[in-house]
Amino acid sequence: MAHNELILSNVTKRFGGLTAVDALSFKVEEGQIYGIIGPNGAGKTTVFNCITGIYRSEEGSVNWRGEEIRGLTPYQIVDRGIVRTFQTIRLFSQMSVAENIMSGRHIKSKQGWWNGIFHTPASRRDEMDNWKKVEEQLDFFDLSEFAATPTGSLAYGIQRRVEMARAMAVDPTLLILDEPAAGLNDKETLGLLETIFKIRDKGVTVLLIEHDMDMVMEVTDYLTVINFGKKIAEGTPEQIQQNPAVIEAYLGSEDDDDE
Amino acid sequence: MKTIERYAVPIFLVVMALLPHLLDSRWQAVAITFLIFSVVALSQDIILGKSGMFNMGQALFFGMGAYITAILNSQFGWPLLATIPLAILVPALFGILLAGPIVHLRGDYLLVVTIGFNIVFVQVVQNNLGGVTGGPNGIFGLDALSLFGRQLTSQVSVYYFAFAVLLLTLWIMRNLEKSKAGRALHYLREDQLAAESIGINTRIYKIFAFGLGAGIAGLAGTVYATQYAAVSPEAFEFIQSVLFFSIVLVGGSSVPGILIGVFVMFVLPEIFREFATWRFFIFGFAMILAMILRPRGIWPATFGKIPKFLIKETNHGA
Repeated sequence: MAHNELILSNVTKRFGGLTAVDALSFKVEEGQIYGIIGPNGAGKTTVFNCITGIYRSEEGSVNWRGEEIRGLTPYQIVDRGIVRTFQTIRLFSQMSVAENIMSGRHIKSKQGWWNGIFHTPASRRDEMDNWKKVEEQLDFFDLSEFAATPTGSLAYGIQRRVEMARAMAVDPTLLILDEPAAGLNDKETLGLLETIFKIRDKGVTVLLIEHDMDMVMEVTDYLTVINFGKKIAEGTPEQIQQNPAVIEAYLGSEDDDDE
Repeated sequence: MKTIERYAVPIFLVVMALLPHLLDSRWQAVAITFLIFSVVALSQDIILGKSGMFNMGQALFFGMGAYITAILNSQFGWPLLATIPLAILVPALFGILLAGPIVHLRGDYLLVVTIGFNIVFVQVVQNNLGGVTGGPNGIFGLDALSLFGRQLTSQVSVYYFAFAVLLLTLWIMRNLEKSKAGRALHYLREDQLAAESIGINTRIYKIFAFGLGAGIAGLAGTVYATQYAAVSPEAFEFIQSVLFFSIVLVGGSSVPGILIGVFVMFVLPEIFREFATWRFFIFGFAMILAMILRPRGIWPATFGKIPKFLIKETNHGA
């Protein structure tokens, strides 16, 4: 198998007359924590949607481990080890935390559709094995006490953790986080940083969009800055902080920081 | 809740098992209807309640099962019980074929398309397709049940046949709840995009729900044909589908809710028969009130069926 690399080349996505992502290229290497930043409306989430199969870009290529994944459906992309979270949390809100995390085991479960009608010893074992994996995630994200609680009734910060736990239950190779710190307080953001480092230490590559600049500078190894769908800079956090184009793009948008 | 479950389920099963011996023949017939319609309503729940697809054509699959049993029995002389495999498989296959091109439709569009299917079905059997459906009068004079060469002509044996089918359906529903496929239906109902993004092929599972729901409804059709020894088109009209749809909505997507719903819609009207036309007036209002006061149904679906070892500290939600 090829190297666990994600390479975007010249990805372009248009909505009618608007070019949301314009010939964007970047490369995420194995083991990195890679950040994509940009002002509001810069096309960051659209990039993620193009990678995860929710949108199909008109041009360019999305290459993962040497395979072209542009045009695959979201579940096919999950099957290849790329899982995402959403900026606006999308949990199964009437269902418990444990059931939400169990959804991440769907693709790993070996049960067939017929096991929805009758069980076999193998399907029972498979069911139990997957619940054990859910237990691991509950422990890892410190969610055990909420296992049976419907996610809709949980605090925002906890919901974020559940969403990450659900994504991690897939055992992804590449985890994509869409503004994971949005709506979190300082203490929760600190906890999130720790969690992201722990996830990386498990050998998972992390690609994230973030608005919170302090957090991005602290957590990422490498960054791409986009504005109006175009890349305006890339580099390490130190390089980015001194880049005049980036400073200009962010001038005047400092005040709509969520802090 | 747990204690209710521990006592209510055995009591319900014992009562249902003894019931035909406590009733006269008119009420036995009502009880059989209750069992059959419960099975159809549960099959509708798989499609509407669990998967959230607005299927307004469940009577089509119910009728298809009934007609297959009737045709095989009257035209080809098959024993009634021998028609079961085809009465399940053909509607299931139809469910899959019909669902294939339409499951991506948004709720209201799907609803209109399934109404269309239901109307087409009734038209086809009314117009005596292939000369085997008997036209507007339907098919009469089916055989009685027979098992191992013994004729089971009494209504009580039809009751136990219907009861066995209900138990089988409940068993399948239970297995579904504890399986990957059953959970996938819940996930896609709650948030389809999130379900896709976590690796669920939602299209396949929607079609699966249609196939399974149609197969179970087809089996209920066999029991229905057995009870009346006849089938006719008007029993499977679109208005029947509306009733099954309302039962799942009013009852809530849970087994007790659906059984209560069937009881309210089919058994109570029999009890209050002397009030004749007033009963529909009252039931109409009862439905409206139920939906306003309990928008998620009289007995809403409960989730949280997770293994006990996962619940460690105090249960927050309860």
